[in-house]
Amino acid sequence: MSSLRELQAGFRAALLAGDERGVAPDVVDDGVNASARLAVYRHHVLTSLSAALEATFPVVCRLVDRRFFGWLADSYVRAHPPAGPCLFEYGADLPEFIAAFPACAPLPWLADVARLEWAMNVALHAPDAVPLEPEALRTLPPATLARLTLRLDPSVTLLASRWPVDAIWDANQAGVDPAPRVDLDAGGVWLEIRRRDGDVVRRALPRAVFAFRAALAEGRALEEAVESALDADPAFDLAGEIRALLDERLVC
Amino acid sequence: MHPAGCGIGLRAPHVAEILATRPGIAWLEVHAENYMGGGPAVRSLERLRADYPLSVHGVGLSLGSAEGLDAAHLERLARLVERLQPALISEHLSWSVTGGAYLNHLLPLPYTEEALDVVCRNVTRAQERLGRRLLVENPSGYLRFRHSTIPEVEFLNALARRTGCGLLCDVNNVYVTCANLGGDAAAWLDALAPATVGELHLAGHAVNDADGRTILIDDHGSPVADAVWRLFEHALGRFGTTPTLIEWDTDVPQLAVLLAEAAKAGARLDEASDVVAA
Repeated sequence: MSSLRELQAGFRAALLAGDERGVAPDVVDDGVNASARLAVYRHHVLTSLSAALEATFPVVCRLVDRRFFGWLADSYVRAHPPAGPCLFEYGADLPEFIAAFPACAPLPWLADVARLEWAMNVALHAPDAVPLEPEALRTLPPATLARLTLRLDPSVTLLASRWPVDAIWDANQAGVDPAPRVDLDAGGVWLEIRRRDGDVVRRALPRAVFAFRAALAEGRALEEAVESALDADPAFDLAGEIRALLDERLVC
Repeated sequence: MHPAGCGIGLRAPHVAEILATRPGIAWLEVHAENYMGGGPAVRSLERLRADYPLSVHGVGLSLGSAEGLDAAHLERLARLVERLQPALISEHLSWSVTGGAYLNHLLPLPYTEEALDVVCRNVTRAQERLGRRLLVENPSGYLRFRHSTIPEVEFLNALARRTGCGLLCDVNNVYVTCANLGGDAAAWLDALAPATVGELHLAGHAVNDADGRTILIDDHGSPVADAVWRLFEHALGRFGTTPTLIEWDTDVPQLAVLLAEAAKAGARLDEASDVVAA
């Protein structure tokens, strides 16, 4: 007989790794054997988590088809079970898993499509935040301003990709018929994904604006963010961009 | 507002219709873990709770985990409860977390003194943090452990006695467990301490095959079975009118189908209250 702690570890191994040795001896076998009984639980765990991933990554699923996605998700669930019970938070490292999944190698853009879908999921569920009032910045002396770090709205992701993942996503929506051809050599994109008034919105940013906002999102001070922006475009308009940040209620 | 009559489990596909038409639903139950972020889902729930009594039904606290409760998750649940001020809060007699992994299922416990101590400790900790009484639900069972020494219903009674928690009696789960593991469902209900029962659940189940034998799966994907309606009537005879919920989670139908199921349960609740009044 196992302690409860041992039993639960053994149950986990039976569900995720198919190793029933730690739990099967403790299961009553009366007409239906222990493996068949454990399979009922395993089936639910794997299919429900796979369905949760499909709900978060519908375009990835469509691109590889449901059977392949089922295999991919099953492999991911076994290797990376959720760390907590809020399933809208599950799947953050699926893009990295896809990038390292040998069978996905022929689709080098797939991991970035997954990053875009994850960013949309984050945008949908991020905590509600109160945007910063423009007055708060106006009263600061310029020297302080340079060293300031600005907290962006928690729904925001800044996503750069060398692939046109926005066009790939758009071409794979239900009702888009016939699906437009996507030119994979069209070049990279610099995207901002966030929630605004309850809706998830995505837009492409100019490179310098992206560099500026991405630096802020990483927690870097304003003067460093400006340097990143000027590296991308010497004509970067700082005053206009600060106004835009506040007008777009991006800082909180 | 306190729940009475038959409510429904709130599911995402129905939210817009309920907001637009405000149908006469006695109360709504939500899964706690779906509302621990921000955004439109939470906003909609804030609007609904103005018009409907609310029950918060957790599926992730893992009251049976030997390693104890996840403190961060308990905090999130406490904040949700503070925000929503639900009339009822419930969880399950099961476990989902081991070694920091969440297995997304209501997994079975051996019914031993050791497990009873673990669940009592976890329920007490949760009730202390929430400042509220929990209702703990009986799970649907697909296996038994050799070293279980306490009948499930006695385990629940002891849990309620030792922690002061209430019980959520899922009538479909009683039916499914007794069919799968042997046992008389009516006798199971008769053995449950009636004063502890604060809520009833009803749902459909699937009939599957395992190792050549029939096994019932609690998939919440169909109307309540006739045999479960009869068992519900038996439960009402024993527990009196009790807030009752229709759950539907897979192949979620049109809202009207759910409301019709709730009306069927509501008619039986009315009959039960007439009997008490007479």
